[in-house]
Amino acid sequence: MKRKAFAITLIAYGFLAPALVLMGLFTFYPVFYGSYLGFTDYTVADLASGEGPQWVGFKNIQFVLGDPLFQTGVLNSLKYLLVVPLLQIASLAVAVLVNQKLPLMAFFRVGYYIPVVTSISLAAVMWEWIFQKEGFLNWSLQLLNVLNSEGRFNWLLNENTALWAIMLVTFWRGFGYYMVLYLAGLQSIPAELEEAATLDGANAWQRFWLIIVPLMRPTLLLCSLLSTIAAIRVLEEIIVFTGGSGGPLNSTYTALLYVYNKSWGNMLNANFGVAGAAGLLIALVGFALSYVNFRLTREERSER
Amino acid sequence: MVKRLLAASAFALGLSAFAQTQIEFWTYYLSPNFDNYIKGTIADFEKENPTIKVRWVDKQDTMERDLTAAVALGRAPDVVNLWQDSTFAAAQNRILTPITQLVNRNVLNQLYYPNVLDIFVTEGQVYGLPWYGWLDQGVMMYNPDLLQRAGVDVRTIRNTDDLLAASEKIKKATGAYGWLPPVKDPNGASFLGRFFLEGLPVYDKDGKAAFNSPAHIALLQKYVDAMKNDAIPQELLRKEAFQLSNELYSQGKAAIVVGAPTTLNRVKEANPDLYARTRIAPAPLGKAGIQTGGAMSLVVPRASKNQSAAIRFALFVTSRTNQVKFANVVPIVSTAAGSENDPGLRARSNDPLEIGKGMNSASGRLINPGFKPPKNTDDIYKNFNDNIEAAFLGRKSAKQALDDAVAFWNANAK
Repeated sequence: MKRKAFAITLIAYGFLAPALVLMGLFTFYPVFYGSYLGFTDYTVADLASGEGPQWVGFKNIQFVLGDPLFQTGVLNSLKYLLVVPLLQIASLAVAVLVNQKLPLMAFFRVGYYIPVVTSISLAAVMWEWIFQKEGFLNWSLQLLNVLNSEGRFNWLLNENTALWAIMLVTFWRGFGYYMVLYLAGLQSIPAELEEAATLDGANAWQRFWLIIVPLMRPTLLLCSLLSTIAAIRVLEEIIVFTGGSGGPLNSTYTALLYVYNKSWGNMLNANFGVAGAAGLLIALVGFALSYVNFRLTREERSER
Repeated sequence: MVKRLLAASAFALGLSAFAQTQIEFWTYYLSPNFDNYIKGTIADFEKENPTIKVRWVDKQDTMERDLTAAVALGRAPDVVNLWQDSTFAAAQNRILTPITQLVNRNVLNQLYYPNVLDIFVTEGQVYGLPWYGWLDQGVMMYNPDLLQRAGVDVRTIRNTDDLLAASEKIKKATGAYGWLPPVKDPNGASFLGRFFLEGLPVYDKDGKAAFNSPAHIALLQKYVDAMKNDAIPQELLRKEAFQLSNELYSQGKAAIVVGAPTTLNRVKEANPDLYARTRIAPAPLGKAGIQTGGAMSLVVPRASKNQSAAIRFALFVTSRTNQVKFANVVPIVSTAAGSENDPGLRARSNDPLEIGKGMNSASGRLINPGFKPPKNTDDIYKNFNDNIEAAFLGRKSAKQALDDAVAFWNANAK
């Protein structure tokens, strides 16, 4: 009997092996090596001359923490987190709406998912038209009498609005993805529960808050976690909309852009030590936020 | 029997490896547009040098990343096409073989324009063979309809001040922009170029940054005002001037492009009617009366295992014959000495690109590389651009912005 269990375990690992090897090679090894580099002096000149990294302890961490550009980056990344609750609430609400058995629902589901599969460079062209001075956003605001033609401005060139404008793009891109995850979660809620609640006289709002939201908690947490991590690591949008400068006036300079500019941004001047240290610090922030997320769920679970 | 066959074939392989050197050649963004030219040049070279085979790879935005990775992995390419800033960075980081170790400096001086060769000199050594070049000012291409509607006579535009004045007039009369000067391109520090072109020094005689004199401040203020009045678009803070000029000119929303005639290739594709109507004039220059520009280089990595074959090939590609051929495919500026008298570089028809070639491709001797970038370039240019941007957005006065940039520069240029 014992031997059989052993064999089953062995087979299971056999199936896992290819994925584990790939993950080890392309996820864990880079993570550990990158973290190690954060404590070393290692530049392109070292790399080219075949010299290995030199251990320098916390020197890079100190440098990065004292670099005003990195501080700006972390602040902007934290601001970026504001997109998370908005994104989650909106995508859950829309998932509930498109989960109805009504004609044309498939059309809407596909429609909301299109931004997810649209390439960012293509999306950027459209959003640039929306945000520019003569663009759609200003035009709409003028129609609503919020803005007059004197007050028009380019949303990507004002340091008070640029980050929010780019956050809107992230919202737009992520929305469909989370909606699909929520849809999958919604399908698993037994229809009887809602029916019973309806019979007991609960209205749509009560059914949403008292039945759907509690039952969707695991999915909600997964999605919040995913989008928190994505927000902390935002990079693509910034590069596409600002040409990698993080402008105007560094108002869109995020923490990961700092890492990128210290390593891949200008490869021939790369400083892998500093980039590794900054990456490590960002990972710490990510861990802290994930921990908060998990703590919140655990309490909820024990309540039930 | 099988063993013997295997042994024989292994022997044959060994022999051919002995007889044939394979080198790897990396270009930067040349495929697919110039496949025919590059393949033709390689074929010519292989015909002349039957023992050398060239494997061509075109790299695009991952060029620098791939080069560093290939060097670290011990699989370095043999000849690589870099642009001037990356040549400088690669030389500083000791990735490249000094060309002067492979070819005598006197020979180099005869083969290339000395002003261009100088671009690739770091610490007394040449690190790259000059390949195709460009002039930032190049020629002035304009949309005659827009100029006419604004009542601007092209003959009155002789310097950059005239260009700015004309731009203001064109914007008021037609709604289209005139000229789009680079003020804050994502790579480099464009506004330093503006100073240089107007004859204002970047450094003082001790090599310290000194671009905050009243004359510098007045110049920056002039452009800040132009942007405030929307005579030049604010988008210049976010997009490369070259790219924006291309877009707006092709759409009829900008009247003038000052730059390399190669720009017209894109106009030709995007708006053939406008291309046919486009007129070409000499580029208006700044007060210094110079044309800044630069060149691509061909470099040989230190890790290349076939350096003699590599340099042979690099010399072939950058020779005058092959650069002139290249200029006839696309109007690049030839950097090979003697190109100013080469009959192959004269315009043969009234096509705008041909005229551009005639005015531009033989002007390699006019390429002025400007000033040497400081060490610690990335951080210093980033700070410079941030300050320039603050001035343009009205967050700092021109004086404050330049004072801050000079202070940071002198504190951080090691």
